Amino acid sequence: MSSFFRFIAKHTAYLYFLLYCSISIMLMQLQRKETLDAIRERGLSINAAVSKQFTDATAIFTQERDNERLFLQNARLFAQLARQQTALRDASDQQTIVANAPPWSGPFKVARVVDRRFSATDNMLIIDAGSSQGVSKEMAVLTPDGLVGHVIEVSANYAKVMPVINQNFMVSVVSDSTRANGLLSWRNGHERLAKMEHVPVSSPLLVGERVTTSGFSTFATRGIPVGQIVRISKDKLFYNVDVRLAVDFSSLSWVLVSMAKPSMEKIELMESPDAPAKEQ
Amino acid sequence: MKKYFLYIAIALILAFVQRFLFSKLLILHASPDVLAIFIAFISVSAGQRTGVNYGFGAGLVAGMLSGNLGLSALIGTVQGFAAGFYHVPEESHATSVKKKRMFYAASLTAFIAGNLLQSIMLDPLSLPLYIRMPETVILGTLMSMALTVLFYHFALKKLLRD
Repeated sequence: MSSFFRFIAKHTAYLYFLLYCSISIMLMQLQRKETLDAIRERGLSINAAVSKQFTDATAIFTQERDNERLFLQNARLFAQLARQQTALRDASDQQTIVANAPPWSGPFKVARVVDRRFSATDNMLIIDAGSSQGVSKEMAVLTPDGLVGHVIEVSANYAKVMPVINQNFMVSVVSDSTRANGLLSWRNGHERLAKMEHVPVSSPLLVGERVTTSGFSTFATRGIPVGQIVRISKDKLFYNVDVRLAVDFSSLSWVLVSMAKPSMEKIELMESPDAPAKEQ
Repeated sequence: MKKYFLYIAIALILAFVQRFLFSKLLILHASPDVLAIFIAFISVSAGQRTGVNYGFGAGLVAGMLSGNLGLSALIGTVQGFAAGFYHVPEESHATSVKKKRMFYAASLTAFIAGNLLQSIMLDPLSLPLYIRMPETVILGTLMSMALTVLFYHFALKKLLRD
């Protein structure tokens, strides 16, 4: 008996082995029991959590490439969207400007403003209609809101327009209710404020009156809206009149070119000397 | 005592490494077994009883992670027990060459025993036994042996000398 115990004491590894094997086999048999299932589930949840971390960690390495691909895709989609929106807006603008063309504008040509130069001293517009489209110098340029300016230079497909907001621009105007005549010009200052000059203090001018082109103009047909009187102050002989312009030049993209030819005869007559030559 | 706690910590880490790294290096359903290397090392350096204890414990942890609690524990126990036959007692003053040989032999025995058990009792792909047994045992053992050589040269050599 004592030799048996000595043998056992010497070979405890065998005992452990048998014990652990029994436990393991028992565990295998009982693996479907609820407690073991819970342990397995817990183990599997740890397994899943760590696996997820591994997946997330490896995703970092592919993220830059994915970002680049998405960025390019975004850029392509953005370009496509921009093209479509521009085309849509252009079509809508063109439709609006044709539909709202005022009766006084007569036959006209629709043109798009392709370039603009706005500064304190020299404001110019370039439109995409030129001599090939029948545009010539001194033609009036307008929008349904009112007068924009007049053509001063023409190439085959483009024309240069001097807008109302140019220091060299002048147009003869008349107030719509009191019929007071004057000359409208723009000076440096507010973009939408022009001056109406040479209006005698005897004229019954009123604030709020609309101002339109008069028949004295060499390029504009009569009755094109120009603006509205916002302030009147008296000088010695003439009024100082501020006119708020009808056209918003900051958002100008489409215009109408009035195809009515300016009367060259009238221009020549106006440019001729005032006094007749004295007989020798 | 401190050494044994360190072994427990290493066993835990290796169980995770085995589950999330080495078990994914599958070649024809066989993968290297880093935990078996550790069990073989314990068995060779600390004896059969300790090897069985650690084998069972490490197998339990690995089983919790893999879902095969009983089988993993059984495999760990068998590996520890089998490798324990190559135990080199400290008082034997064995040469490092002998220790190395014993360690390789212990590892080989542990791999064969573990893979054999696994191929018999675990059949996830419903392959016939005559296919999965040689496949798992031969390939698994070869891959694990390659890993053992690497581990020995880079880490265990110094530990076994001490």
